Parts: sequence; C-alpha cells; structure tokens
Amino acid sequence: MECAFDAQKLISISLRKIQSSRTQRGGIKLHKNLLVTYVLRNARQFYMSKNLSQTQRTHHYEDVAAVREKQEYLELSGSFTELADDFYCNFTGVESDTWHCGAHQPIGQPAEVAHQDASACAMVSPSDSDLMVSEDCWSCAEIKSSWELPIPNAQANQKTVLDLDTHVVTTVTNGYFHSDCCAQSKQPQGAQCFSKKRKMDTSYHIVDPEFYLPDFGPVPCKRMRTDDDSHSDSEQLDSTNISNLISVLGSGGLSEFVSWQQTDLEQIFASQTICLKHTLLTGSGWTRAIEAF
Amino acid sequence: KGAIDDDVAEADIISTVEFNHSGELLATGDKGGRVVIFQQEPESKNQPQCRGEYNVYSTFQSHEPEFDYLKSLEIEEKINKIRWLPQKNAAQFLLSTNDKTIKLWKISERDKRPEGYNLKEEDGRYRDFNTITTLRVPVFRPMDLMVEASPRRVFANAHTYHINSISVNSDCETYLSADDLRINLWNVEITDRSFNIVDIKPANMEELTEVITAAEFHPNQCNTFVYSSSKGTIRLCDMRTSALCDKHSKMFEEPEDPNNRSFFSEIISSISDVKFCHSGRYMMTRDYLSLKIWDLNMETRPVETYQVHEYLRSKLCSLYENDCIFDKFECCWNGNDSVVMTGSYNNFFRMFDRGYHQDLTLEASRENSKPRSVLKPRKVSTGGKRKKDEISVDSLDFSKKILHTAWHPLENIIAVATTNNLYIFQEKPN
Repeated sequence: MECAFDAQKLISISLRKIQSSRTQRGGIKLHKNLLVTYVLRNARQFYMSKNLSQTQRTHHYEDVAAVREKQEYLELSGSFTELADDFYCNFTGVESDTWHCGAHQPIGQPAEVAHQDASACAMVSPSDSDLMVSEDCWSCAEIKSSWELPIPNAQANQKTVLDLDTHVVTTVTNGYFHSDCCAQSKQPQGAQCFSKKRKMDTSYHIVDPEFYLPDFGPVPCKRMRTDDDSHSDSEQLDSTNISNLISVLGSGGLSEFVSWQQTDLEQIFASQTICLKHTLLTGSGWTRAIEAF
Repeated sequence: KGAIDDDVAEADIISTVEFNHSGELLATGDKGGRVVIFQQEPESKNQPQCRGEYNVYSTFQSHEPEFDYLKSLEIEEKINKIRWLPQKNAAQFLLSTNDKTIKLWKISERDKRPEGYNLKEEDGRYRDFNTITTLRVPVFRPMDLMVEASPRRVFANAHTYHINSISVNSDCETYLSADDLRINLWNVEITDRSFNIVDIKPANMEELTEVITAAEFHPNQCNTFVYSSSKGTIRLCDMRTSALCDKHSKMFEEPEDPNNRSFFSEIISSISDVKFCHSGRYMMTRDYLSLKIWDLNMETRPVETYQVHEYLRSKLCSLYENDCIFDKFECCWNGNDSVVMTGSYNNFFRMFDRGYHQDLTLEASRENSKPRSVLKPRKVSTGGKRKKDEISVDSLDFSKKILHTAWHPLENIIAVATTNNLYIFQEKPN
C-alpha cells in the first residue's frame, strides 16, 4: 500500500504538469489542468494544515515580538484556510482531517495517517524554481515593464485577459477586474465595465487557456530573446520573480508577505528552497503558473 | 492491425473504435488522423457458425494537423471520435472529429466503370474528332472493387475548446458535438451554422469548477441527451424545454464516500465515458476505477457498480506522477445490454455480466491471442500471496492500456484496441 507521499512533492509534480502542458501539442488541455489544480489545492491544504499544527506545537517560549509575528502568521494562515475554502472550484466536499494517498485505511485506525512529515521533506531541487519563474510565461516586454515596481508596495499590478468567445478584454488592476469595451484597448474603460473585487492572492483560478495572444493587437507581443538578454536575464529574472510574487499576492499582500518572513525578497530568491516553501505558504507559485495560461 | 514490434509510432496509436449499425463495418481512428475501416467477410457456407473475419476495407486520411495562427496553437489531427450514420442507401456515412473540426465522410463502393465513350479514350484522353465515324452507347463493365472515401461535409469553427464527443440523433438528421464547456447541435446537411444547446462556461473563468467530459443522444428519444462532467455528475436534458439546455431535467450523482477521500478524489471521480444501453432504459458511466449503471428513473445513485481495478486505489500517487490517472477509459454494452465491457492496464479488459453477476478479465496480446485460441481468464493478485497464473499489481504494465473497446451490435464479437493494435475476438461457437 502506497502510504509514503509528500505533499510538497505532489505540489512540485503538479506544477511541472501545468508547466509542461503549455508546450504540449494541441494546446492546453482544460480538463486535465482543472484536475491538476484540484490536486494542488488538496496538497496545499494538507501542507498548510500540517505547517500550522507544527507551528503551534513548537516554540514554547517566545518574546513579545515573535508572538505578535506568529499571531499575525496564524491569523493570515487562518485566512488562507478560509480562502482555500473559497477556492474557485467551490469545493463543498467533506474536508477530511487526514489527507492520504488514496489507500484504504483499515477500520479502527487512528485518523492520523502515516505519511512523511511535510517539514521533513526532501529539499526541493533547484529545477523546481523554474516552475515559478518561467521566463517564457512573462516574456512580454510590456508586461515586464508593468511589473518593475518599487518594492515593497505593489502598485498598478495589471494582467490582461482576452476572452476569445466574447472578444472582451478584461484587465485585472490591483485586484479589480475591469472589462474593457473592446480588444483594441488594454486600459480599463469607463463605460461598460464591471468591477469585481478579487479575493486575495491565494484564490486559485484557471483563466481561459486560450486568451493570451502574444500577437493580437495591443496585447503585448512576445519579445524575441537575444544574446544580450542572457546577460541581463539574471537580474531580469530576479525582478521578474519578485514581480511575480507581487502580482499574485495582490494589493497589500506583499507587505504581509514581508512581515511574515522578515527577509527581503533578494534573500528569498537567493535560496530556491526557501522560495518554494514561501510559495507553499502563500500559494503564489502554482497560481501564477495557472494564470500564465 | 498494428505493428508487431514494440516500437510504436505515435501516429499509429488507436484513438477510437466503432462498429456501424449492422456490425459489418468497424472503423478505427488513430493519432495520425487516419481512419481505417474493416469489413466483415461474409460467412462461409462451409462453416456457417464461424463468423467472417474482418479485413481492411478502406483507409483514408480524415484530418490533417492544422495551425491556428490567431491563437498560436497547433490543432492535433488525432481522431477523437467516429460515429456512423444509419445506412440509407448503398453508401456508408460516418462522422469523424478531431479537437476542432467534424467531418462527414461518404464511403462508397465502385465495382463497375463506364467504357465506350465516344469522345474519350479509355485513359481519359480526348479522341481526335475527325476519327469519330460511329456512335456507340457507353456501357458499365466490371472492375476490381474500389472503395472510395470522400469528405461530404466539414463542420468547422464551432468549438473554442477541445471536442470530446459526437453523437448522432435517432432522427438521423441531427447530431451533437461536445467540447469542454459547450455542446452544439448540428444538422448533418448544414455546415455553416449550429445551435448551442449547452454552455457551462462561467462568466468569470476563475469560477470554473467542472468541464463536460462526454455527451450522447438517447437511442430512441430524439429530444433527450445526456452529458457527463469532470465532477462525476451526469445531466439529462430535454431539448423541448428550452433552446438552451443549461438547466437539466435530471441530474445523476452519487454522493462521495468520505472514507475514500484523498488528494485525487476529484480526478478519479471524473467521468470519462457515458453510454446509453440499446433499450434506452439505462446508461453507463466510466470513471477511473469503476463502471456504474444508472437507471434513468433514479437519480440518487447507480443501480449497479462494478469495480474495474480497485487495486489501483493504493497506487494513485504513482499513477498521478506518470499521468496514467488521466487516462480516459471508454465502455460499451453488448447487443442485448446484458454484458458491459471496459478496458484496463496491462492490456487487460474486463467484462461484467449483469445477469449472472460474473466478471471476467481477459488480456489482448499477441502471445495469448493465437488465431482460434480461447482466451484464458486473467486475475490480478491483490492479496499478499500470489497464486499461480496470477499477476501482481506491481507487475502490471501501465504503458499497455486498453482505452477503446467496441461490441458488435448484434453478435458477440468485440473489438479491443491496445496502443497501436486492434484485436477482434468472437464468441467461440459451440
């Protein structure tokens, strides 16, 4: 019976699947990616519940500042739990205390399932960081320029979505959706627009997989890579990574992120394993990967 | 059909199998966009109980790879589904579809050709008019049988998402095509328009929770169809109620067993195929681990559930990793709806006799399928001790999977597609 599983490994595998689906022949498979996001959500819920319980069990003595930080973290984790419940799929199934690999549990066994402790998981390989910082996802020059934002306060975070069915361009700005009148402009229009406050960054969603049109009108075009790019890539990559996190965290999210970790973002991206752990806590990495569709 | 060696060309992977309404013809589609039609040979007078073999009847390229320049997407030529139209004249018609385009093909025979034209030579060259001194009537003379497949209709540009199903209506005039989020109704004769009858695309794609996985018309009621979803639900719709059938007439759903909750619950509950029985009283659904028979009069739970390979429940992590958990198994009924069949791994396929409550596991492989030999039942060892002739779960070859099966509508002849081979088995005559 397969009981040895790793929530982090599941998340990593799921991210890879989403990433690889972008290059598959025939385009992105909506059905498969929807199912992968379910697994991601489930694994993340489990990971966060484990992390939260561990945090509660450790640290018997702390100073006031640490306690305050921890309370803030727990509160935010609690909000993430709520947000997980508000996950786009509106999951209403029974949320079991015990996430398991699917194997039947013998009757009478305690609820706790034997599985690898999430915190003791193997270090994430450096290649995993590629999942979050896929250069291909954000090779559009104009999108990059909008992301080169002063840290830590994120402003004017924008994503553009083109619905191929209705040809309506939707722009997400600082957590607000603006439905543009037509595909000609990517700026929010005053008329005929609706606003919908988007939940915090960890709301998972699948954006229409066919909406990114690098060559369509004013939508930013894919920038050709040149040799010069490779030299500036590392810096671009870092700022892109930072921008990625900024954008998925949404308005106000970054300040919370910084307060949790008390590290600056350069340190985060210096260590890819820490990055993944942060991602797991914030839910940003795979959300971004999904949004990249 | 298929390669003998293990090197499988991806284009040769069989992607759909379908008998026509008489069972005389068997069509297969593959990833390369080709359709191969087999025809059953007439029964031999010497051995009247031995049904005729199936031989290749026609082969044609149905779909070619395309590129959508607007979306920068390649459209695969893989044939997702083939459905035969009821035969009305000497010619046969079938619908074949890839991810985006449905085509109507006419398959006709030609065994005579006209000879004796006045103005043309036999090779088609025009004769010198000055040499024509007499007039003759052209006549038909026998020729070697030639089977022609010609595209009669192309139904394109109606699906934004990937087409997963087509189903011909019992009125023989219309058919439906379903993609991940929408179902369209077509008239077989009209290609430039279709009616959207189901649309589950949310206004905000962030709210997407499920997709359409399969759809089928009722075999007798031309106003009724069903579609299954990735959430494990089946919705029955009546087209008489409204033009847009977003509101279902019936919804069939079995509550999830909380004891079986896992990371992969959503994946394994996704329905991969739905098929009405021939009578129209029941329908069958296939999810990753089981087959379920539903009575159309009872929506709360299936009337019968058959575990196809329950021993895989403990392997879901590995199956997720190697993508096998996303395999879409199909299912089929036999002619009198007494037996159902579906595929599994290791080239196993399973039959469930509803009347006798028996199940059977058979294997489709060249080693075990010598002509005229009887298939030996197989068994997967799920306990600790493996008996002789049993195969352990860990020994199963997950690269060998049977996703597509078909049952002759009138006789006990089955077609089973492994990766790139087609096996045809028939009931042993007594």
